[in-house]
Amino acid sequence: MALTITCPVCGKRDGYEFRYGGEDKGPRPDEEGLTPENWCDYVHMNDCVAGIQKEWWYHRDGCGVWFSTHRDTTTNLEISDSEVK
Amino acid sequence: MMNRLKNLPTLRVNTSEKVSVTYRGKQYEGFKGDTVASLLYANGIRIFGRSLKYHRPRGLYSLDGECSNTCMQIDDIPNERAENIPARDGMNIREQNVKGSAEKDMMGFIDKLDWAMPAGFYYHTMHRPAKMWPVAMKQIRKAAGLGTLNQNFNRHERFDEIFPKTEVCVIGGGPAGMAAALEAADKGVRVILLESRPWLGGFYEYRTSVDESGNFLYSKARTLAEKVEAHPDIRVFKHTFMVGAYNNNLITAFQRGGETESFHERYIEIRAQSVVVATGCIERPLIFENNERPGVMQAGCAHRLCRTYGILPGKAAVFSIGHDTGLEAAVDLFDMGLKIACIADLREDGQDPELLEKVKGRKIPYYPGRVATEALGKKRVTGVKVGTIDGTVEETYTCDLVVASAGFTPVTGPITINQGKLKFDEHTGFFLPSVLPDKTHVAGRINGLGNPASIEASGKLAGLRAAAECGKDLTGEIDEAQGELNDLPGPQRGSKFVTGPVSGRKSYICFDEDTTIKNIKQAIRKGFDVPELIKRYTSAGTGPGQGGIPGHNLPLFTAKFKAEENEKIRPTNQRPPLVPLFLSTYAGTNHDMAKRTPMHDRQKKDGGIFRRLGVWRRARYFSNDFSCRKEIENVRNNVGILDGSTLGKFRIHGPDALKALQRVYISNMEKVKQGRVKYTAMCNDDGCVIDDGVITKLAENDYFFTTSTGRAGSTVEWIRYHTRFDGWDFNLVNLTDALGVINLSGPNSRKVIEKVTDQDISDQALPFSGVKEYTISDDIPVTVMRLGFVGELSYELHVPSSYMESAWDLLLEAGKEFHIKNFGVEAQNVLRMEKGHVILGQESEQRTNLTDINMGFLWYRKKKEAKTVGNVALEQTVNDTGRLKLVGIKMKDPSRAPGDGCVIVDDTRVRGYVCTIRKSFSVEGVIGMALVEQPLAKNGTTVFVYEDECKGNLSEAQVVPMPFYDPEGKRMKA
Ligand SMILES: [Zn+2]
Repeated sequence: MALTITCPVCGKRDGYEFRYGGEDKGPRPDEEGLTPENWCDYVHMNDCVAGIQKEWWYHRDGCGVWFSTHRDTTTNLEISDSEVK
Repeated sequence: MMNRLKNLPTLRVNTSEKVSVTYRGKQYEGFKGDTVASLLYANGIRIFGRSLKYHRPRGLYSLDGECSNTCMQIDDIPNERAENIPARDGMNIREQNVKGSAEKDMMGFIDKLDWAMPAGFYYHTMHRPAKMWPVAMKQIRKAAGLGTLNQNFNRHERFDEIFPKTEVCVIGGGPAGMAAALEAADKGVRVILLESRPWLGGFYEYRTSVDESGNFLYSKARTLAEKVEAHPDIRVFKHTFMVGAYNNNLITAFQRGGETESFHERYIEIRAQSVVVATGCIERPLIFENNERPGVMQAGCAHRLCRTYGILPGKAAVFSIGHDTGLEAAVDLFDMGLKIACIADLREDGQDPELLEKVKGRKIPYYPGRVATEALGKKRVTGVKVGTIDGTVEETYTCDLVVASAGFTPVTGPITINQGKLKFDEHTGFFLPSVLPDKTHVAGRINGLGNPASIEASGKLAGLRAAAECGKDLTGEIDEAQGELNDLPGPQRGSKFVTGPVSGRKSYICFDEDTTIKNIKQAIRKGFDVPELIKRYTSAGTGPGQGGIPGHNLPLFTAKFKAEENEKIRPTNQRPPLVPLFLSTYAGTNHDMAKRTPMHDRQKKDGGIFRRLGVWRRARYFSNDFSCRKEIENVRNNVGILDGSTLGKFRIHGPDALKALQRVYISNMEKVKQGRVKYTAMCNDDGCVIDDGVITKLAENDYFFTTSTGRAGSTVEWIRYHTRFDGWDFNLVNLTDALGVINLSGPNSRKVIEKVTDQDISDQALPFSGVKEYTISDDIPVTVMRLGFVGELSYELHVPSSYMESAWDLLLEAGKEFHIKNFGVEAQNVLRMEKGHVILGQESEQRTNLTDINMGFLWYRKKKEAKTVGNVALEQTVNDTGRLKLVGIKMKDPSRAPGDGCVIVDDTRVRGYVCTIRKSFSVEGVIGMALVEQPLAKNGTTVFVYEDECKGNLSEAQVVPMPFYDPEGKRMKA
């Protein structure tokens, strides 16, 4: 895997060590007033941007932390926070 | 064996050590260090195989496997390139794509039918009528092809994989690559150097000419190689072919194992910070009629045959070359005893005057501005026609060797496959990199350099630049090295010359696919005017050689033939893998890695039959009776002991531990108490049940819980994921491997424990669902839980892994008088099924939610603020009637059970499936559990089971209440 991911604890490591946790869609919504449609949207629908996306990663073969980072989905390269406008 | 040249300082064969191989059933001898190709060539074999389409004889042409000419079947493996495979004793070699032999191929007549097979003929002939094509295709397949697969072939070799990290990766172990590696390593960064040949040295390795200081190039190569191999910061991979380059400078390659290595091939995936590409050049073929006739070869091939392998490639030769290296080869081969009828040099001027002097001094006829136009001879070269480039003069020479080479082709694959861009350069005639991948540098001949000092200086500069990108401050040194390089001779002039005045009908631009100059013209006339399209239409460059032979000539010829003004010369693309490799190499080590419990060896000794279960190997049976009747009956009547160590075991503690538990568990976790275990489950966001287990409270804000075997690996990840926005304060500890689990089940189980502990284990002291700390034999700390998975009086003992064997032995000893026996996972499976207890993944699949398997009683709905995972979806589906529900079923035929997974059908469709079903020894009949559509879930409903190969005879079953065994639960609560 060519991808590298920068863990906030362990630094830049091979993509093999991580598990993808999906797009960052924000915290769980309050349950009050949720319809099946908007719940399904939260759980299953993705933006699938062609470009820079904020997403979650888990350092599975490492420190075990969940963190979010930015990645350009067109180049599969991680983007540092300073480069994200 | 023909006479081999011995005692050459450049030799790579050991002439004192013989190697013997079998070719077409006959023994042939060569030397250690020979490739299969050089060994056969030394034995007079000239025709190595027949071409794909026209069955033309093919022989040795390059020496690096750039075309399929020397693809042979070696030890039953087709398409091995004889040029790249070291000869080993006992090898069995056969030629490919022949009917008869390579020498006398009965399909050879096809060569005369080329007029019937124009470019892309299979796209537009034999398609009318449409049903003609399958018939024709069969015949074409028979006639064309590369080797045959032995259906009974089994790989017995070992394959390996490694994933090294480095700062600088240098691709190519020639002078430039070695200079770069040394320079970078001297600056204190780690270097990995990849070289495709079995030795370092590249372009210098076989050459006897001298540099400015009078050193032989070959000895210079060896000095450099010694330095490189001795350098502590350079890791050298020889006989290693780079195949891919990706983002973040991930380089992939594979290495052929030598006779002493533990692997046949190994995959290498290198993570580098910066990369130096010093892959040099291959020769660009000169194209003329019959330019691939055995006996025609490239200058480097002829030169290396002599210098590296000690084989004089022929008796009398004609050279038709376009560069000084060709002249150098002619002079050297002449000195080694080759007769040279003439040298045709397609250049009018620009030759190295020193070399011309040498040619003149040896009285070799030399003709500038001339070129070979046709090789003569039916199966091998007997002569050649040489003419002026304008076609006005033509002479015929008798010879058995034609050394032909139009120019050089830089090996740019490593750059272009990583999104680098190329641009045609008029001076060198090369496609030179115009955009390089990030942190990538090029050095040496790939830039068009030919002068040894320039090649090394460019390597040094690239090495410095690569080291600088790994964080070394080398600005001054880089400027200095750049200045040094600027003062040396720059890139050499090259030409765009591809072919002399020929008809092109038998002039081959691509050997692998039998594509001629005429085919290219046909394609262009049909409107395929871009090399990339011509490549697809004519399949030139799509064969095993990956464009090594036609890759450079195709765009050059296209531009020349179209002759349009401002025509841009465009290269074709390359894709990984740049060199073919075995899928087994990508697959890597064939080693089934599994975890073992602390009781693995003990159970093995007791006759346990193991099966893979998730990441573990577990004892599934303890006899060859896979119904496990004895194991089951012993648990029901006496006491059984089972190793449950694979169970996931966790501790969660901290001020917010309870909040986290409320988030992921479906029940009300406030009810979890000390001294009691609570059974509960986890769902996913669709309400589908993913895990079940028990939990107990150890102390305030401190809990211990178990998960199913399959979920143990992802539980920490799961809990942290679903709390990732909350910033809660808790810690999770995975104790799965730290603790073993012993399950004692059966009416005698209490008696066994009583014998090993002084503490009270009576029903009052430890009732059903209780948990308590015990000490076994005054020493071993054990947490005992009283559970009832199998439906009997049952204890689960959590023991520190290091004490597991001792505890196990004590229990076995104590249990002797109560008939204690091992039971395995399958016996447990039947026992719990009889009790109606589910195993997730068996009684559930991806779509099964909590209420589908009658576990809705675990669901606590009044904790909305906890945002419990699964709660929303469960609420939304609770009244859904279109779901599969878990039921007990009993087969009408009590004699045998259908298989797990059989579908339940009616006349029109599938209505569900059987989860687990067995012939029961505890109750009457064949019983099991099934997931069925809700309308079928009512007790008393008759359902029909479809079995594979039942030929329409469905088996009848009835939906019945569960549990089947001890419905009141008196036994487990005894
Ligand atoms: Zn980490």
